[in-house]
Amino acid sequence: MMDAFLNFIIPWTDPKLLMLVALGTFSGIYVGAIPGLSVTMAVSILISFTFSWEVYEALCLMVGIYMGGVYGGSRTAVLLNIPGAPSAIATSFDGYPLAQKGEAGEAIGLSTTMSFVGGFIGIAVLAVAAPMVSEFALRFQPRDYMLLAILGILLVGSLSGDSLVKGIFAGSLGLLIGCVGLDPLTAQERFTFGMIDLWGGISFVAAMIGMFGVAEALIQLRYVDKTAVKQKLTRIVPSLKSVRKYLPLSLQTSSIGVIIGALPGTGGDIAALMAYDHAKRVTKDPKVPFGQGAKEGLVAPETANNAAVGGAFIPMITLGIPGDAVTAIIIGALFVHGLNPGPMLMIEQPQMFWFIVGCLTLANVFMLIFGLTGVRIFTKIVEMPRTVMIPLILMLSIVGAFAVNNSITDVYWMLGFGVLGYFMKLYGYQVGPVILGVILSTLIDENWRRAIISEQESLPKLLGGILTSPLSLVLFLAVVFIFVSQTPLWARFKARRKA
Amino acid sequence: MTEDQTRKPGEAFFAVLLSVGSIAAVWNAYGISGFESLSSPGAFPMAVAATMAITSIIIAVRTLQKPADRHATFWVDVLPIPAAIITVFIVLYAIALRPLGFLPTSLIFLFVTILLLSRKGIIFSASVSVISLFFIYIVFRLVFSVLMPEGVVPEREILAFFGNLFGGFTK
Repeated sequence: MMDAFLNFIIPWTDPKLLMLVALGTFSGIYVGAIPGLSVTMAVSILISFTFSWEVYEALCLMVGIYMGGVYGGSRTAVLLNIPGAPSAIATSFDGYPLAQKGEAGEAIGLSTTMSFVGGFIGIAVLAVAAPMVSEFALRFQPRDYMLLAILGILLVGSLSGDSLVKGIFAGSLGLLIGCVGLDPLTAQERFTFGMIDLWGGISFVAAMIGMFGVAEALIQLRYVDKTAVKQKLTRIVPSLKSVRKYLPLSLQTSSIGVIIGALPGTGGDIAALMAYDHAKRVTKDPKVPFGQGAKEGLVAPETANNAAVGGAFIPMITLGIPGDAVTAIIIGALFVHGLNPGPMLMIEQPQMFWFIVGCLTLANVFMLIFGLTGVRIFTKIVEMPRTVMIPLILMLSIVGAFAVNNSITDVYWMLGFGVLGYFMKLYGYQVGPVILGVILSTLIDENWRRAIISEQESLPKLLGGILTSPLSLVLFLAVVFIFVSQTPLWARFKARRKA
Repeated sequence: MTEDQTRKPGEAFFAVLLSVGSIAAVWNAYGISGFESLSSPGAFPMAVAATMAITSIIIAVRTLQKPADRHATFWVDVLPIPAAIITVFIVLYAIALRPLGFLPTSLIFLFVTILLLSRKGIIFSASVSVISLFFIYIVFRLVFSVLMPEGVVPEREILAFFGNLFGGFTK
């Protein structure tokens, strides 16, 4: 217990680490707040510069950006009706009407405080649940890991896009990219086309910066003429009375956030939308109708999306399965730093877990401080024209891709993925599942092979094993249900039942 | 789940291209170890490539069935001219990065792209480029110690000069 506490306070007591968490949170808030700059983009570009750092320093910056970025999106959702991040979509439903009524300052203050509450609850659940989950995860069979990873990709593919079939394609593309290189078990070449450069595989950083940095920047070129509409900001710090009033709702929606965030493949955006829906159902007599500036409609998504951050770390740390695209990137970065997220991490390096919890808590405190201050700088940064911002992002993307291995080949891969990601986004394919696929490819491949070898290469035996183990059966049924529930057949069945 | 009911310019070509690529991936995956065993190095890649091929063919068929959006054009709605030009500039930037070095190529890239996108004149573009590059260089090269290609600029000598001047400011 004492060890846990000592590791928890490392980022609080080391001035350098403290500064890095502060810098990460600050950058996250401002990057997350600028429409078009997603937190995924920020983490993917900035992470590439941290590979030569010590792991603790890199973690401080990453965690700060993630925490700040999820919150930052709410500011532009309130002020401009443009959510800075997908997790802030639900915030704009009532946040913007509040701003139009001249209550932008109060809305920002309330959303900041409630994000802090949600973030704190998410971290508390992470601290309590992760050790238990990781102990439980030790009982996981290879087939369970395989099913869990497939579940994650399917969830991202089905929930984040317009079409399940496009989601599956994107996830498979990521899995295929992850296969490139020498087979980790037999060293046989896979998709290398005889090129030695490809033996080590395609850099996941190149794929990630290309898809989230370059592709997004190119998409933003379509909106260079859009200018920000200024809002007058008054009082930011909310009254104690107002915080007390909305605290019970925020506690409820925090629980939704943590649970949704902890599911592999689902993140803050879905948590926020579900929390908004919950608030609508439980608020019997709102002072202002939902959609027209109800503060409950602002509190619910804001607590949920920040609570989801702590939740998303649970499968990431305990199982090595990303909770969303950002945690997928963080997992990749941890691999680069020589760490192996999964149940063994908690056993072999518990100090790392408590250090991450310490970083998250510190980032949450910084989020509250930065969120309630510096409004003037904020409005200046948000007003920064895209015509300047986009070239800067593109430049950082190139430098970031180069910095990882000092390799120009990585830059070309990054550009290739950028162009591919641009067209994929334009034509309605989600790029999130691609990155999740790249990260999960080795995990699925290795566990599939372990599972099938342990069943003497027999598919019926493997299926029998799945059907007789309660855990495997639950995961298998979840995979089947998610798949079936997205098919036209299911839609027809539901329509018939309604009729 | 709602999808666009009309086909964007180039969408069908893209979908067919993905299908062809996926089929090629199946063939390549088969070449790894054929149908040797379920745990062979090629088994998982083959399953993944087959999934890609099946889904991409479904997407291609659905895309071809959709009516074309007659009001949309490729160079306006899919790849607007500025995006196409900027893409070319990024490629040129990447090619020139190692031989010329980070500082000159980045300065040229920023200046040209900001000038092109903002249309606010040479002085604005030049000053914004120089100031931004200065801050990025300070943060990433000097504070975060990120290595960038030196190219034609004798960066190490310049840094050493300033280092001596200010008493060991950088590495």
